Amino acid sequence: MDTVVEFKGVSKAYGKSQVLEDIRLSVKRDDFMVIYGLPSSGKTVLLRLLMGLEEPDDGDIFLRGENVRHMPPKLRNVGYVPQDFALYPHKNIFDNIAYPLRLMGRPASEIQPVVQRAAAMLSIEDLLLKLPTQLSGGQKQRVAVARGIVKETDIYLLDDPLAGLDFKLREKLIDDLKILQEGLGACFLYTTSDPIESMGLAETIAILHDRKIRETGNPQTVYRSPLHLSTMDILGFPRSNLLVGRLLRKSSGVWCGTDLFEFPVVMDGEGPSIEGSIEVIVAVRPESIQKASGNAGKGLQADIYLREDLGAEEIIYLNIGGTNLTMLNPSYRNGSYDVGDQISIGMSAQDIFVFEKGNGSRIGRGKENFHV
Amino acid sequence: MSEIKVENLAKRFGKVVAVDDLTFSFPEGKVTCLLGPSGCGKTTLLRMIAGLETPTQGHIYFGDLDVTALPPRKRNIGMVFQSSVVYRGISVHKNIELPLLKRKLPEAERRKRIQEVLELLSLQDQAEKDISQLDNVSRQKVSVARAIAYRPDIILFDEPMTNIDANSKVQFKHFFKELSQKLKQVIVYVTHDQTEAMTLADQIALMENGRIVQCNEPRVLYSEPEDVFGGWFLGNPGMNFIKASCESKNGKSRITSTFFHTPLTVEAKGLDRKVTIGIRPEHLRLSPLPQKGSVEAKVRRKSITVGGQYLYSIERDGVEVKAKVSHPADELIRAETVWIELPVEHLVLFDGSQRRVHAPMAA
Repeated sequence: MDTVVEFKGVSKAYGKSQVLEDIRLSVKRDDFMVIYGLPSSGKTVLLRLLMGLEEPDDGDIFLRGENVRHMPPKLRNVGYVPQDFALYPHKNIFDNIAYPLRLMGRPASEIQPVVQRAAAMLSIEDLLLKLPTQLSGGQKQRVAVARGIVKETDIYLLDDPLAGLDFKLREKLIDDLKILQEGLGACFLYTTSDPIESMGLAETIAILHDRKIRETGNPQTVYRSPLHLSTMDILGFPRSNLLVGRLLRKSSGVWCGTDLFEFPVVMDGEGPSIEGSIEVIVAVRPESIQKASGNAGKGLQADIYLREDLGAEEIIYLNIGGTNLTMLNPSYRNGSYDVGDQISIGMSAQDIFVFEKGNGSRIGRGKENFHV
Repeated sequence: MSEIKVENLAKRFGKVVAVDDLTFSFPEGKVTCLLGPSGCGKTTLLRMIAGLETPTQGHIYFGDLDVTALPPRKRNIGMVFQSSVVYRGISVHKNIELPLLKRKLPEAERRKRIQEVLELLSLQDQAEKDISQLDNVSRQKVSVARAIAYRPDIILFDEPMTNIDANSKVQFKHFFKELSQKLKQVIVYVTHDQTEAMTLADQIALMENGRIVQCNEPRVLYSEPEDVFGGWFLGNPGMNFIKASCESKNGKSRITSTFFHTPLTVEAKGLDRKVTIGIRPEHLRLSPLPQKGSVEAKVRRKSITVGGQYLYSIERDGVEVKAKVSHPADELIRAETVWIELPVEHLVLFDGSQRRVHAPMAA
């Protein structure tokens, strides 16, 4: 039994608002699966359904191969770190971590070593006798995670546990969580709306967008070769550039045109039928846009609207006759770009992806050795 | 006329030292960002300058005038807060006029100044709109207009982008950049966001534990941190630190570490025996095959980060370092063992007390 969690066609609506639709997802025994989606895309609902805190309108959920439809939450035996974790202010940290075990009626002699072990994994042994008010934000977050993993089981759900922490702390906790999961050898089902965090943690990533899981896979694979527009659109920082395009068949093959450029397309399969021309979405990642050099096409003239300095990288916001494009320069070069300047940019056609407008599936990508 | 000087300024809340014996000056016509982690004292410092917080010790001068005891309204300061201070139900024009009325400016003068700021902030088309018809960016622009219409000597910004959504932040930054170049006042801008500070500041004052640990132009602060804290705090992820041992002989020092093929030579004597070498993740060179001057290391983890770059966690002799690689070759992506080189021109040397050592280094 390799699959420990499975969603089969699960849907959930609140009143007229459909939150999740036909969710299909299977999670392996020791996977670190990240459900990545924008804020309020239904990630928390998905975990609450699995916990048994909500009921699906449709579809089935299986835990360790068993349909949980009639299984009460307390028998589901999963560890849970909710997003809005609240520590009991009058209990010390030890008692806060021990709480789920006491709830299960475990004897004190058993609780002591388990709490110690969880505290050691999160480097909070020194804090056990303190009260929550004496802790910093990051320390409290560690306590919340410790309380979530103290129930020794094989499946843990973590609902955006780093949200709201400052980014230096997140940087550290991302490494710690990864090591923790490897140490536990358990299945982690983790949600976040931060693209870099999602790819830093995930063994497998599932893109939840517009009610559905749009794509699932290894984060590096789906980032580099997305099969769905949602992946291209939301997975990555800065976000991709999306343009409206038109596909048309010429004697030399299929071409795609946008307001800014046109390029030959290599179709993924048969794709949709192109009678006359069809409207598509053209997407290109910010790092695929480069300052045009002599031999790389004639280049597009762009005005620099803003230059953001990330330290190692810079993001250049461009305007080309009313169309905005975002470009990322991975290595900062002092003085090379300034607000108000005009630069000539270009890209390699094979970094441009073409998606169907209606359902967002990928149709193809630009041809190799062609520059725009 | 009016640089801000603070002398031996301190603020304590009970036992907590928020600002610790600080002496510093903020120049005119420049944007100084106060940057640091939460609790570093940046907001308390700003509030003392505004007169919203009384110092426990020390003095604040605007030009030659000691304002330490002056109430906020007598300091001639414009301030923009996290949430926009605007009144709904009245027009943009009226919102800007209110602070001018409070200062009893004659009508002609009011009209002139309102026109001036509307133009400066490109709000002419919105002047007659009700505040509730505006988006968050325009609303925050109106707060800025209100803060600068009466021509204060000093303009203070306290995390003004907190309530602006991610997409509109670009607009606000663009607006702020344009505006700040036209203003001649002292501008102090508090933020915890390093990208915001690096993008908007003429100079960044980096704060830790109530002190300003370094103040420089953004790029200098990023490339040449004066201590380990600055190297760690800036950058995502921050600088790597490698412990190394140091031996001095004949006015030179030799630094050895498992990360270097051959010892480094430093043109300095009397260095501590234990030193720290800093290098930013984007400056490590990785190769799937041995290169001249490289050492072997294990790949622990790798993932995609900003702009599709690969972030590697690599380990050598129990020490983990991060490396950022843009467009890695397939052989490098597949490699479990890599060869790394730390180019000497990108190394920063810190002494035993984690302060930077200014001395030329050679491989």
